[in-house]
Amino acid sequence: MKRLTLALVLFVAALGAVSAQLPVNLYGRAAVGANGVVAAAKPEASQVGIDILKKGGNAVDAAVATGFALGVLEPNATGVGGGGFMIIKMKDMAEPVVIDFREMAPGKATPTMYLGSDGKVIPKSTYEGGLSVGVPGEVKGLLYALEHYGSGKLTRADIIQPAIQWALQGIPVTVNLESITKDNFGKLVQYENGAQIYLKDGLPYEVGDVIYNPDLAKTLAKIVKEGEDAVYKGEIAQAIVDEVQKRGGIITLDDLANYQVKIRKAVEGDYRGYKVYSVPPASSGGTHLVEILNILENFDVKKIGFETPQAAHLWSEILKLTFADRSKYMGDTDFVKVPLAGLTSKDYAKEQAARIDLNASMNPPQAGDPYKYESGSTTHFSVMDKEGNMVAVTKTINYFFGSGVVIPGWGFIMNDEMDDFVATPGSVNSVEPGKRPLSSMSPTLVLDPQGRSFMTIGSPGATRIFPTVAQVISNVIDFGFPIQEAILAPRVYQAASGDLQLEGRYPVSALEGVKKLGHNVNIRGDWDAYFGGVHAIVYDYDEGLLYGGADPRRDGQAAAF
Amino acid sequence: MKRSGRIVIIVAAVMAACLPLSLAAYNLKAPIAAQPALLTSVGQSADVEMAKAIMGRAKLSFTMDSLVKAQGLASANAKTLIIVVGGSSKGLGAAGISADAELERTKALLTEAKKRGMKIIGLHIGGEARRGELSDRFINAAVPYCDYFIVVEEGNNDGLFTKLCGTKIPLDTVQKISQVGEPLAAAFTK
Repeated sequence: MKRLTLALVLFVAALGAVSAQLPVNLYGRAAVGANGVVAAAKPEASQVGIDILKKGGNAVDAAVATGFALGVLEPNATGVGGGGFMIIKMKDMAEPVVIDFREMAPGKATPTMYLGSDGKVIPKSTYEGGLSVGVPGEVKGLLYALEHYGSGKLTRADIIQPAIQWALQGIPVTVNLESITKDNFGKLVQYENGAQIYLKDGLPYEVGDVIYNPDLAKTLAKIVKEGEDAVYKGEIAQAIVDEVQKRGGIITLDDLANYQVKIRKAVEGDYRGYKVYSVPPASSGGTHLVEILNILENFDVKKIGFETPQAAHLWSEILKLTFADRSKYMGDTDFVKVPLAGLTSKDYAKEQAARIDLNASMNPPQAGDPYKYESGSTTHFSVMDKEGNMVAVTKTINYFFGSGVVIPGWGFIMNDEMDDFVATPGSVNSVEPGKRPLSSMSPTLVLDPQGRSFMTIGSPGATRIFPTVAQVISNVIDFGFPIQEAILAPRVYQAASGDLQLEGRYPVSALEGVKKLGHNVNIRGDWDAYFGGVHAIVYDYDEGLLYGGADPRRDGQAAAF
Repeated sequence: MKRSGRIVIIVAAVMAACLPLSLAAYNLKAPIAAQPALLTSVGQSADVEMAKAIMGRAKLSFTMDSLVKAQGLASANAKTLIIVVGGSSKGLGAAGISADAELERTKALLTEAKKRGMKIIGLHIGGEARRGELSDRFINAAVPYCDYFIVVEEGNNDGLFTKLCGTKIPLDTVQKISQVGEPLAAAFTK
């Protein structure tokens, strides 16, 4: 009878665990290790990276394996049909290198391609369906990194096999993925190829379900065998062209065959003695991250305090100035001239800082921000090993579930990155053939004042990316927070105009003070994915340990060994 | 009774206690609605698309108009109005209307439906994610007009729907979206 009672107790407990509501879980997000840490948006992906390090791979091997795995484990945000940016600094490199595998506009793209006969932008055309699809760079970018910066000890099969395994054994549906699927149900249900994979009998998968994608496993196996040509030439390329064009797009076989990864010099800055490296255009993120930190450096942040009304005010004013610059100057430097040196100079930052009144909110420095908000549906991950080799990668298919277009038989979602262009002519960020749309992605590396590898960091979250990254860096450098605490701290966001956005946990005691300084405040959720999902690693040389931090606002969890 | 028989009975009893929805009768005791129905959104969330899929699977006769106005009921030729309640800033933005305008449309629509003698069935299927300040405005405004309401359990953790429905509006709770179809179909006469 005792065995029966025990069985019943276990049965009820298990049932309770399944049916219980899952709150934001703050525990187990961080990881610490002496040899290496990977911090990604899915615990399974972080573990994939750690396993590669354990096998003798270097930080780039681990990053590429994690990147492919995330394409399976977080398919709503990233994958074979997308693109992104990677910044690498191996211990023996004098400077980091940036691999730009951002999507490109197809060769037939024009500045007026989204305008209807009435001269207005055709609804949804920039972010749903074939016309929203840019030429993807993900596979070329990841394989370029593996070939040029990987250890050479592991084969392509070693690196990609974990992703194949997850596609075959299925990915767990989390609270986060269930919520995202429900939010995007209207898009998913319109594209039968995606609906077959990401819906369960025509309805969203729910927590506890498992999503299998053998077609994606087949694609990844082909990449193992054939390398980048598996996707950019031959039958998969033809399938991409056929499906995208069937859905109204303009991508051609030539577009795919001619896609090129760009190797760029990192944008760099200095914040209170720490060297900051991030990505240059076609992302605006790195440049503005440096600009923000340069302006912030002109203020005694510690004296202003943490989560005070004055702190929220200062962030608001800095971000207003930064976004005004973004609107005016930022675009793909292969097509337009961007004053990068000026935007990242200390003198310019001093001028900008002088415009800030610590006692009153300024009027919008520009009439408004002509760029639409980008989607927050990106992913970021960081890798660092005990040698101090650092990799930070931010990649995306843009909106959750991208364009909605899924390549039949191959199981991957095409991006809708064309939405990051301005859909009308006349902007520095208007559509041009071969141009890369402006991004905010900001994978970033930080060296300590002794010049040692200190931090890898980045975030998804559209235009919130670089403000969020700046806040977490400040939390660590100015306030001495451990990386996980720095990530957990509530965040603020402010565009060039509009309300100041405060995360719900910002102290109630500060709210009245913020309003008195002249801000209209919008209180968002307590743990709001709007503010991104930071995955970062900090090296503590005193302890000889690497600390990984991950964000509970999404499914982040670091792994270490 | 043999020991194995007792075990079976006890396990069955525990399962019954843990899974009341699979065995319990619904609170709506008899069909109240006639077909065809008109499906609309209150709050412009994507949940209305899920309701559309559920109603299709339940083989109910209906049309859908997420933005139908009070004056549109005259030409809709529907005997029942099904409202899917839940606010979405993204959805409102895509529809090009403000939350206030959506509330006005809702109140006018529900008032007109009542005037026409239509039955109103409310659904809240988005769970906790479809609660909060924006959604709750629509919930508070719409639920009192309903003749029957179905909620996915997680959306009623704080008992708001229980409170709004009170004793006058039959309220049925299901655990998953995929379970909404059964009580919804049962609410219609054949």
